[in-house]
Amino acid sequence: MKTAENKALMVLFEPVWKNNPVMVQILGICSSLAVTVQLKTAIVMALALTLVVAFSNLAISALRNMIPRNIRIIAELCIVATLVIIADEILKAFMYDISKQLSVFVGLIITNCIVMGRAESFALANPPFLSFLDGIGNGIGYGSILVTVAFIRELLGSGKLLGFDVIPGAFYSAGYENMGFMLLAPAAFIIIGLLVWLHRTLFNK
Amino acid sequence: MSSNTKSILFAIVLCFVCSLLLTIASSGLKSYQVRNINLDRHKNLLKSAGLIDDQDNNAPAYIEKLYSENIKSLWVDSSGRIVKEPERGEKALPIYLYIKRTEIESYIVPINAQGLWGKINGYLALSRDGSTVSGFTVYKHSETPGLGGEIERSWFQKNFKGKKIVNKEGKFVSISIARGAVKDVVQEDLKANFVDGISGATLTGKFLSASMKDILKEYESVSVKFRQNMFKEIPGSSGAVNQE
Repeated sequence: MKTAENKALMVLFEPVWKNNPVMVQILGICSSLAVTVQLKTAIVMALALTLVVAFSNLAISALRNMIPRNIRIIAELCIVATLVIIADEILKAFMYDISKQLSVFVGLIITNCIVMGRAESFALANPPFLSFLDGIGNGIGYGSILVTVAFIRELLGSGKLLGFDVIPGAFYSAGYENMGFMLLAPAAFIIIGLLVWLHRTLFNK
Repeated sequence: MSSNTKSILFAIVLCFVCSLLLTIASSGLKSYQVRNINLDRHKNLLKSAGLIDDQDNNAPAYIEKLYSENIKSLWVDSSGRIVKEPERGEKALPIYLYIKRTEIESYIVPINAQGLWGKINGYLALSRDGSTVSGFTVYKHSETPGLGGEIERSWFQKNFKGKKIVNKEGKFVSISIARGAVKDVVQEDLKANFVDGISGATLTGKFLSASMKDILKEYESVSVKFRQNMFKEIPGSSGAVNQE
């Protein structure tokens, strides 16, 4: 009983830090560059991806003994694609502005290596509940990086957080300027690079 | 059962279940999406007329109120005459008027243009002198994000404000997207007819310029009336123009 619980916790939390999909496996970089200009889009994207990974893991794991080996990739893709389109439809219905800003990147969750990677390496070999937790954990791992990067970029790039001004006006009159560079994709690359560095340094001690 | 038959059967069942789920999601959420799309169109109309700003975060009710109070939609025929909704022919053109108190401030032309990868939908507002652009917005497109997709950014759209669709002699020339910044690539006397282009999106600009010219040509008869100050009377609302 105890070990089962421990295992579940490990599955849930390992990808958040120790085996983070972005920082350790270097997956999902493309979207972390694209949607991290603002905190709001990053949070929505993180939520959408978490739900998609969790439910695709759940469905694939539940079907794992039925999926024929020779068409398993196609079957996985079919499930993932369905979930992504449903997520996109929900965003369009309830968060139209954000879905416009995210544009193709919601659809591109399908090609996010994290989703297929978890399906192949975890869901096919583990029971549904653990796979679901694994999906949530990986989603949080990905989301935490997204939110961190977006926090830094929005704060330094536009002086705002979640759309509210946080840098006091006095700073600007004292000569402070927003870093336009932070709004460009290369800035996200550099921040992610620094995060990976930080992670490796802390971890290899 | 051979493994091939099993694979095919599995694939069929999986596809069926997935398509069922998609149908439920799509039809169940349709009404919400349509409402959002209409709201977004109205918001863009108001934005092109300069009634709201990009930065503003307006409540849906406020948008609808502003829309119903200031914007009137009607149809005109090819000679620029207003036609009533039920009598309009196939060729009637939709047009929106921004009415400030009792004066027409500007008229707004829906831009349903051809882009590089698909349709570009937006609005071009022209002030009542019939030649000056007072605003431009895009609410739907399928251009590449980061390249042609920049047409939805405010720096590009603000670019249009104050530009002219006529040349120095007052003849219609439309408005074009330059290949680069206007101040570098366009000669002095044509600057009023060009807006800054998007780097990496030459083709989007080319297609949008061409379509815009075609559209504005169709509306030229209306613009001429505005230029001659003949488009005066405020007609009773002829009902909502259902575009698309």
